[in-house]
Amino acid sequence: MIEVVDLTKRYGKVLAVDGLSFRVEPGTITGFLGPNGAGKSTTLRSVLGLVHPDDGGATVLGRTYRELDRPLHQVGAVLEASEVHPGRSGRNHLRVLATASGVPRSRVEEVLALVELTAAAKRRVKGYSLGMRQRLGLATALLGDPEVLVLDEPANGLDPAGVRWLRDLLRSLAAEGRTILVSSHVLAEVAQTVDRVVIIHRGKLIQQATISEVLAGAQGGTRVRSPEASRLRSLLAAQGATVTELEDTSLVADLPPERIGELAAANNIVLHELTVERATLEEVFLELTGGETTQ
Amino acid sequence: MSALVRSELLKVRTVRSWWAYLIVIVLLTGIGAAGEIGSSESENRSTLDFQLGLADTIGLSVLFAIILGITIVTNEFRHGTVTPTFLVEPHRERVILSKTIAAVVVAIGFALLSLVVLAAVAITWLTIVDAQLQLGDAEFLARTGEQFLSVVFWALLGVAIGTAVHSQVAALVGTLIWIFLVENLLVGLLGLVDADAVAEYLPFHALDAADGSGGDNLLSYGPGVAVSLGWIALLGAFGVWRTTRRDIS
Repeated sequence: MIEVVDLTKRYGKVLAVDGLSFRVEPGTITGFLGPNGAGKSTTLRSVLGLVHPDDGGATVLGRTYRELDRPLHQVGAVLEASEVHPGRSGRNHLRVLATASGVPRSRVEEVLALVELTAAAKRRVKGYSLGMRQRLGLATALLGDPEVLVLDEPANGLDPAGVRWLRDLLRSLAAEGRTILVSSHVLAEVAQTVDRVVIIHRGKLIQQATISEVLAGAQGGTRVRSPEASRLRSLLAAQGATVTELEDTSLVADLPPERIGELAAANNIVLHELTVERATLEEVFLELTGGETTQ
Repeated sequence: MSALVRSELLKVRTVRSWWAYLIVIVLLTGIGAAGEIGSSESENRSTLDFQLGLADTIGLSVLFAIILGITIVTNEFRHGTVTPTFLVEPHRERVILSKTIAAVVVAIGFALLSLVVLAAVAITWLTIVDAQLQLGDAEFLARTGEQFLSVVFWALLGVAIGTAVHSQVAALVGTLIWIFLVENLLVGLLGLVDADAVAEYLPFHALDAADGSGGDNLLSYGPGVAVSLGWIALLGAFGVWRTTRRDIS
């Protein structure tokens, strides 16, 4: 559906994308994740024919973007919320693009209603909030009723209600059988929406998997709270466990809770808490990308 | 292709600068024509020469034509709308061609508007003072046509500049500085080394020669048109090369 093969892009001395390959399967929502500066935007813009790769390339629906017959009807894209002339009204912005790609005017009104901008359609975009601009961007992407959607950080600038609205919209679009590739540097924004993730860092692929596969690979542990934590600690260490002390009275060990409970009972140690720690997706993400949040 | 041209025309019409263009052209042509008639000797007003001079007021639109040509391209880069534009039509040379056609259409519209204002002012005034109108004279019609073409040339050069220099400020300011300063400096320098003839080939001297009104130290009409088109083609070719290769990021 979307296939990126050995994509490499250099800006001067900076290697933005480094031999990246991945596939987005038809009918899925794929999260395209990585910290800021990981090369997400460059990759998406290469897929859309806006950036010329130094090596490798990308196809959408089996063709390069330039080879698509009616690109707006096949691929919808939201890249940045600011790609609108501030002096033009929201409706006219959509009409300009609709005219260029042979989309009927009635469709302009449909997408305006879909993103809940009908009431503001006559106003100049200059007066729009960031959230309204994001929704106008989504309306732009949906103009041609495309089967593939590419969204770059669509949740940027949205308030929590907006993020929820976006999530619901993406879900309903995916339910219609569309293929969606959505990038984000904040995993939580997309974690509940996406089926699969492609994680990149410094222009390279780190992981391509389903959300549950990513979670399965997460290292967890068992958290124990006990007034005799230090005695328990030496007992656990004697069993070969790796133990991390959190406070005076609590620690984390990489043994299942059953083993720890039995060990404590056998040694008459009182336990106040025994919890399985599951790494969150966010922690996995941070671990995979080296804990860096900025470039 | 025609869809792209219609889209470009819609872009021009859906921002406020459109009305500014129209208002300024109406005012400038009206004031220009009235000033020309008001400051003339009444016995000259019936002469063909005087009325040819009136036709030249259409040429006041050239500055707006070149600004329109520059902004029809650079607006896209200034506001980032180049991204959706190139997503709709990834063949960038087609976008540039559509913009060129749209700029020519609008430039002709500017010249027509000028002509209408000129006609309204001149015909009314000259009829009231009982001057003889020469509007049907072949030379008058030819001059009007040459003025229209001149406005089109300026619009074409504007599009060429815009595709070559994507920064709107640099393109607009650079063009104005070139017209009012650089080219005159070059003329002076060329004069110092006895190469005045070369100055006639500078872009805006050539464009000046290509409006049919003649003048000292200018090429004659035909060569003026040829040299103007040469500059447009040269800059335009560089612009197409640059715009098609550029990464939109």
